[in-house]
Amino acid sequence: MAMLERAFPKQELRDPSWMRLIFADTRLAPLWALARMYLGYQWLLAGWHKMWGDERWINVPGEDGLPLAGFWTRATSFPAEGSPPIKYDWYRDFLKYMLDNEWYQWFSWVIAFGEVLAGVALIVGAFTGLAALAGATMNFNFMLAGSASTNPVLFVLAILILFGWKVAGWIGIDRWLLPALGTPWEPGRLAQTASARMHAEGARGSPP
Amino acid sequence: MDRLVLLLLGVLAWLGVAVIAVLVVNAWEDENQILAFLPIAAAVIVAWGIGEYVTENVFEKDGEEAVRGDA
Repeated sequence: MAMLERAFPKQELRDPSWMRLIFADTRLAPLWALARMYLGYQWLLAGWHKMWGDERWINVPGEDGLPLAGFWTRATSFPAEGSPPIKYDWYRDFLKYMLDNEWYQWFSWVIAFGEVLAGVALIVGAFTGLAALAGATMNFNFMLAGSASTNPVLFVLAILILFGWKVAGWIGIDRWLLPALGTPWEPGRLAQTASARMHAEGARGSPP
Repeated sequence: MDRLVLLLLGVLAWLGVAVIAVLVVNAWEDENQILAFLPIAAAVIVAWGIGEYVTENVFEKDGEEAVRGDA
């Protein structure tokens, strides 16, 4: 027990100053804003093609999501020569299950709306960390399905923005949204006001 | 009432950024990404400037007065 306490003492390992400068200093907010807007623009563009473009995935005459079905079919197939696009059997089974159950019809809407929403949220800097996480998740899934394209670059950018979530939306709506809403471990102004009001009402309603 | 109008102005400014971003992508698609990026970046800077102005000149000023009044 004493050895465990020595090995894992109660202490916080602080980040070095250069790391705090990059990921938490508002002086570098303009750089984060550029990175965030570029990533947002890329997502909005990708979502726009799927939602309103000539070869859109959704809202088409006939069945929705046929391009997605084609992508899943190619991803889950085994070529005559060489290795298959997907390395992991569990992921191939997952896509195959969705393909067999024709989930592409509604999943294409999820992807198209998800890309547009993530793009707009990143551009205006609202819930930047969550938008970057959503983008990274989509990149991760496209890469697991064997599609490289711009995904590796966008994924790295999204991860960097995730690390800098506190400052990435400073030149954006998060400048006002985060202090108002707060975080799960530190309630913001709105939560504090609501809590104070509840306390006041409780005190008024309690017997003397 | 003025505070509400200014708050609405700030919200509208950021909504405007979202609308401009969608319109720009709709107009230029990926023909010229740098040209398309400029109006989006400009809209973000304008909206942020409006937000900063409203915050500094209306909300924080009111807050200071309230603190002084309490004292």
